[in-house]
Amino acid sequence: MKTPFFTCVSAIISKDLRAEIRARELISVMALFALLSILVFSFALELDREAREEAVSGVLWVTLIFASTLGFNRSMAQERDHGNLDALLLAPVSRAAIFVGKLLGNFIFTLIVGLAMLPLMTALYGLALLDGWIIVTTALGIFGFATIGTLLATMTVQTRAREALLPIALLPIALPFLLTAVRATKGILSGAPAAEWQGPLGMLAAIIVIYLALCLLLYEYVLEE
Amino acid sequence: MKSLPMDLRKDTSPMPRLLRVLTVITVLGFAGTLALGLKVAGADIQQGEIQRIFYIHMPSFFGAFTAFGLTLIGGIIYLARKNETWDRIALAGVEVGLAFSLINLLTGSIWARPIWNTWWTWDPRLTSAAIMCLTYAAYLMLRAGIDDPGKRRAFMSVYGILAFVTVLITLFIIRIVPETIHPVIVGASPQNAQGGFEATSGVVIALAPSLLLWLTLMPITIIWHRVRLEARIEAMNQLKLQALSE
Amino acid sequence: MMMMRTAIRIVALIGALLTTGLVMSEDGEETTTPYFQSRALNVPILAGWEDQSGEDFAQFHLAEAEATIRAAIAPQDDIIAAVGADLNDAFGIEVGQPIYQDKVNLADGTWSVLVFDYGEETTASVMARLAGGGTVVISFVERDPAARTALLTVAQADDALDDPTPEIAFAIESLTGMSPSDLSRAESIRLPSGEWTVYAGASMSAMGMVFGNDSYVALQEGAPGNLAALAEAYNRTLLGFFITPDSSHYLALGMAVVFVILGALVGSLFWRERGLRKDLALLEQLAGEEP
Repeated sequence: MKTPFFTCVSAIISKDLRAEIRARELISVMALFALLSILVFSFALELDREAREEAVSGVLWVTLIFASTLGFNRSMAQERDHGNLDALLLAPVSRAAIFVGKLLGNFIFTLIVGLAMLPLMTALYGLALLDGWIIVTTALGIFGFATIGTLLATMTVQTRAREALLPIALLPIALPFLLTAVRATKGILSGAPAAEWQGPLGMLAAIIVIYLALCLLLYEYVLEE
Repeated sequence: MKSLPMDLRKDTSPMPRLLRVLTVITVLGFAGTLALGLKVAGADIQQGEIQRIFYIHMPSFFGAFTAFGLTLIGGIIYLARKNETWDRIALAGVEVGLAFSLINLLTGSIWARPIWNTWWTWDPRLTSAAIMCLTYAAYLMLRAGIDDPGKRRAFMSVYGILAFVTVLITLFIIRIVPETIHPVIVGASPQNAQGGFEATSGVVIALAPSLLLWLTLMPITIIWHRVRLEARIEAMNQLKLQALSE
Repeated sequence: MMMMRTAIRIVALIGALLTTGLVMSEDGEETTTPYFQSRALNVPILAGWEDQSGEDFAQFHLAEAEATIRAAIAPQDDIIAAVGADLNDAFGIEVGQPIYQDKVNLADGTWSVLVFDYGEETTASVMARLAGGGTVVISFVERDPAARTALLTVAQADDALDDPTPEIAFAIESLTGMSPSDLSRAESIRLPSGEWTVYAGASMSAMGMVFGNDSYVALQEGAPGNLAALAEAYNRTLLGFFITPDSSHYLALGMAVVFVILGALVGSLFWRERGLRKDLALLEQLAGEEP
């Protein structure tokens, strides 16, 4: 008999949360990386006020995608090193439930980092990033990264080069998320009329649905035996 | 002397007749379309001789489309049936598609030098085409990194399916990001397009056969050869492992 | 037999597409201006003018005005020498000192503007610029004993002004001894090329049009009444003419890249095939030694 889907999903999430509260391995690494990235960008680009408005959505999303890559890698590597994956595969649990559990765990951790970045960037760059719609865009974009990232990280931790391969595999495929999220954020930030950024935002949501369906269908093949 | 596995003996067995015929038609067709594009069609009076590169530039993208499409189909069927041939088709599709899209990128770049006055510009369409190339280059790297053959086939089928999204983006990028300067020859050009020309008489005569050739015969013939080769390489690897373990 | 049939079908499909291409191309022919085309030179053909073009030059003649418009690429890379050689070749004129000489910057480069005067009969107005290894010479030669006509391009004194009057005045002063005040402004006229401002006097008429940062100016002494037609024809030639760039080196580079990549793709198949045969031979040898 299989464990019911949602019981299993919530068990995986609470396991990840408890492990994180104890070890604080994921969020601290991601947050530190994000902070460094924001600082490095502002030095490297020598941003003045006008350039900041142009560049800040790019800085936000580039930082987020690299930070999340770091997090996904770490999270799947933990599963592998502790032998959790094998245990989960032996348990009478559907693959989709494992995927959704890991996905939501990854999503929550990255979202915490993402949401912490917004006030920080607001303070450092002097731009109003703490906007309702920007928070929605951030959440959607991070969810997008998490779907594809969870699937690909599950694959790459089982390869020889491990951590090195995830960004190479993830970046090109996550590009649709990056493209639409940057456009939407830029539109909202510049105070353009809603019609201008609702298009990319809607497209972001549509792409998430497509990728989520693809990942749910394909996940069972990356978690065999 | 020990008997060799079946797959390796195919090496000495003759090529299927259809493949032979296809190969000959492809080579002749390639020579024919080159003659049409380089000799029969007139030179463009605005752009000069370089416009002829278009008869390869655009068809090569569609050749890559077919090849990557076969990777997608191969991946889906492999996951459904676990038949190794479909995984080989997927791999061959990536190699051929990568070569074709490299031709597409480089010929575009060489055309852009005299017409746009630059080798490269960060235009949405150019960028997405480059990312498409990198995605499939990542496919080959990822594939080389997985030792277990069963895992490798399953993972790469999954990745091949996902990677096709970048092909679709390259095709439809002008709808997501409309401010491209890349001209569209068949159909309405985007507003900012630079370096377009009319698809008239000579252009269609030279383009249609070339497009058909690159879309079908070129990728299919080369992929078929590559699939046969891959089957023998896999058999050889197995044989080597056997020899080592003895 | 199955395979032969498939092959025949493929060939038939290619044939069908070729035919479709040919049929489609019939409709694709558009009704644009006819052009004179040589290896690099493209000149719009002037309707109503007699076409005297040769293989490598375009030349149009209007008998009733005894006017000729000619475009050619002279091999010399010195503008004065090129203009002299070209006019001598075409009209048998010994070119002397120009009565007017200036330079203007147009979208396609710096042009020399020259006007030569040969007494009562012949006036030659020339625009020339360096192109590739030679010189493009576009000339207007008029041999009407009843008129003297000169056509030229003058850089605008004031870019902001949308009126060619200062340039017309400048041209009149430079080319004739007359004073611009002898002419009075007539109504402006609309030609296919745009809005021209017209000045008329007792023995002379002038017209001009602003285009970009320059003014096209046409002057005529005598009154055959064909100044507008001549100015329009020369203007059409100047604006419609273009040189096909020599991009054949890029084509060669592109084809080389195509062959290198395709060669690498097919070559890699042969390479791996060879490696396979070697490995096989080695394994067979080992198997044979083993007993």
